[in-house]
Amino acid sequence: MAEDKQADKVASSETVEKAAPEKTAKAAPAKAAKAPAPPDPRVEQAKQQGEAIKVAIEQKLGAGTVEEVIASKEVPILRIASAKWREAITFLRDDPEQRFDYIELFAGTDYKDYIEVVLYLHAMSRGTYISVKTRTPREQAVLPSLAPVFPGVNWEEREVFDLLGVTFEGHPDLRRIMMWDGWNGHPLRKDYSEFENMPQRGGEPRG
Amino acid sequence: MSTSLRTEEMILNVGPQHPSTHGVFRLVVTLDGEQIIDADPVVGYLHRGTEKLAEGLQYTQIIPYTDRLDYLAAMLNNYALVHTVEYALDLEIPARAEYLRVIVMELNRIASHLLFLGTYLLDLGAMSPFLYVFQERERIVQLFNEICGARLTYNYMRVGGVKWDAPPGWIEKVRDFIPFMREKVKMYDKLISGNEIFLHRVRGIGVITKEDALQYSLSGINLRSTGIAFDLRKNRPYSLYNQFEFDVVTGKNGDCFDRYYLHLEEIRQSLRIVEQAVAQIPEGPVLGKVPKLIRVPAGEYYRSIEGARGELGVYIVSDGKDKPYRLKLRRPSFVNLQILRKLLIGQSMANLIAILGAVDIVLGEVDA
Amino acid sequence: MFSWQTQPLTWMHFLGMLIGAVIVLFLVLFIVMYTIYFERKVIGWMQNRIGPNRVGPFGLLQSAADVFKLLLKEDIIPANADRPMFLIAPIIAFVPSFMVLAVIPYTATHIFTAGLNVGVLYYIALSSISIVGIVLGGWASNNKYSLVGGLRSAAQMISYEIPLGLSILGVIMLAGSLNLNTIVTHQATDRFGWYIIPQIIGFVVFVIAAIAELNRTPFDLPEAESELVAGYFTEYTGFRFAFYMLAEYVYVFAISALGTTLFLGGWEGPFLPSWLWFAIKTSAFIFFLFWVRATMPRIRIDQLMGFAWKVLIPVALFNILLTGALSLIL
Repeated sequence: MAEDKQADKVASSETVEKAAPEKTAKAAPAKAAKAPAPPDPRVEQAKQQGEAIKVAIEQKLGAGTVEEVIASKEVPILRIASAKWREAITFLRDDPEQRFDYIELFAGTDYKDYIEVVLYLHAMSRGTYISVKTRTPREQAVLPSLAPVFPGVNWEEREVFDLLGVTFEGHPDLRRIMMWDGWNGHPLRKDYSEFENMPQRGGEPRG
Repeated sequence: MSTSLRTEEMILNVGPQHPSTHGVFRLVVTLDGEQIIDADPVVGYLHRGTEKLAEGLQYTQIIPYTDRLDYLAAMLNNYALVHTVEYALDLEIPARAEYLRVIVMELNRIASHLLFLGTYLLDLGAMSPFLYVFQERERIVQLFNEICGARLTYNYMRVGGVKWDAPPGWIEKVRDFIPFMREKVKMYDKLISGNEIFLHRVRGIGVITKEDALQYSLSGINLRSTGIAFDLRKNRPYSLYNQFEFDVVTGKNGDCFDRYYLHLEEIRQSLRIVEQAVAQIPEGPVLGKVPKLIRVPAGEYYRSIEGARGELGVYIVSDGKDKPYRLKLRRPSFVNLQILRKLLIGQSMANLIAILGAVDIVLGEVDA
Repeated sequence: MFSWQTQPLTWMHFLGMLIGAVIVLFLVLFIVMYTIYFERKVIGWMQNRIGPNRVGPFGLLQSAADVFKLLLKEDIIPANADRPMFLIAPIIAFVPSFMVLAVIPYTATHIFTAGLNVGVLYYIALSSISIVGIVLGGWASNNKYSLVGGLRSAAQMISYEIPLGLSILGVIMLAGSLNLNTIVTHQATDRFGWYIIPQIIGFVVFVIAAIAELNRTPFDLPEAESELVAGYFTEYTGFRFAFYMLAEYVYVFAISALGTTLFLGGWEGPFLPSWLWFAIKTSAFIFFLFWVRATMPRIRIDQLMGFAWKVLIPVALFNILLTGALSLIL
């Protein structure tokens, strides 16, 4: 499957002399997304793809599960309501139409008003990938854990818990992973200050 | 052995200073006799907060920090970062720069895999391969030294190209290196792959199933050893990889032997790529037209490449400034290491090192 | 004075024995020093390295410097160690290693050799005592790695003692004697020549079991660096550590000497003086041990035990049967 895609890509790059490798590379996962240079069509295409997935999710899990569909370049991004986070990811994995069975990236970002957790899901059988994300308030940052569904995000969730302070409910082993247990605060939060959150020594806070 | 005999459990602390944990990695093993009933990997001893540091640095300034992640394959780390920035900027890269990048990346992959062979065999008690692989690695390191002036932390790539063009004669040296390395790979295959003691220690040990591999988000050789042909160079081609002929080699059983053998095979495939790249490399500039101050347009971008240890990705959230708002590194070693607990439980203590070694981690990357 | 083996004991003979013993002791220490040097050089060359070359010409004094360093080091005893046991364990491991050398016939004239009629048994019995020292050291250190190393060592050495003993039995059957001197003289006159030829199976079993007895690669599990840090001597420093190392290398020499005596005709050989023949054969044996070390990975503990009980012992027993049957027929 990958090979014949490969073949026609090689052919096309021969015609274009200085084969801009970036662009051909991007077109790889979804053949449909193979688009010329201006970025708009890619985003539009991705949004359409995202909308289709949104319809599928909402059919199963009810309206309002997908709060927003945007796109970054050729990647559709679906924002999912935090309450349905685990259900939606499980659906995307198990649904025969979707089959996003492989988590590539698990990242958390502090946006000052809320904290966002981002997943990049890859469908091994089809070679397409999407991004899903969800938001949680900064104070009382709580999300359902994905670790029971995808054991591979176990440590990633611990890392987000450690560095961003998001509590994952249902996580089997939620401890700090990078910092030690006596650490004060969550370093990747934007309001974290190295000076206010001096590391504790010997288990006792300083000052 | 006998189930009626009650034995006391013993907790054994492997690491953080242990010769076979390849760095500061700690494994708290609960033993019942020789059997492992629980294993708790403890990481973070080498945590330097690269992601936090990156938020205060311009994109070019972050490049040397990526060198320190997987310090055995720093070229690939460099590329993962600059590639994501270039992707966000939709930059065109001069052809020669891309070729040079591919050459150094594949050479670095070879160097990294060679070191795996050496250290893995050292873990299993064979001392000589460790010293043998350093000879070939030394040649690669010398090549890197000539092209970028560093042996380990290269800081070679830039957004838009590479920092230095290859010095005169460098390409020829790489060309000469290929047949030399081919011979050596053949030699290793002969010396190691048939060794009865070695086979007894790695065959059928630490088996990963396809389902587990996907569930645990394994990537790289750990994933391919289970038979899933997922190589980002083929499945989501970046750089020039769609122009080169090479195979994605997969294993059958997902055991330690497959993981060992795939390293050897990947060296062969990398040599094929280097050979083609060296034959095709055009003349021209090595650094494209890039603004002095790189400002990534607001948005979020994720690109991943096939690193030496798996999917090496960089996720950038930008607010349009010259520094990333958030930079997340998808470190393959970190993700791959999670399966260790599952692999170890139920195994005998004697297999611990064989399994840990085959997962192939670099602690600089695990802890970032 | 030199023929004291066949004469009644007098003071002169006793003095001769004493001097002989001291000479052997120092000779062996010298040999061991250069066995270590030899090992490091040989393995260095096999691994594309140079090996020691800094201390003295060609690094010849490297081992002396190492020993000197170890003697000067602080003798650390862990706080929770079993103190008397911890102190005595290296000595228990070390003393028998020298005692076994008493029965090895180095030359045709037995100046330094005890003509013990149960020489083979004496060797095997004494070398087993060293196991006690190793287990004790592992136990007394109060360290989990040491403990595992010590216990592995006990299991391994006891298991491999059996095939070692059984492999020697074939030689004893051919020679009809347990006296090592007699075994050598028998080999000189035997119609098959050295016993390595009629006892080839026994020789192979002997070599494998000997490597295991010595805790050397591929059977170096008790001190597997990558698993057990250093095994039973993890906690030892200074001269106590040196004792363990010394015992190990004395045994390398001793078992090579024993193998030479039993299978390679001992000091026997044409043209050259007998001591030189002995030195050449023993060196070849030692070289083989180092060669194996540079080549092989380490075997796993369960495979190791299985190998002893399921392969080596049956093969050794078969060898005894074969030897018996052949000596009846031929």
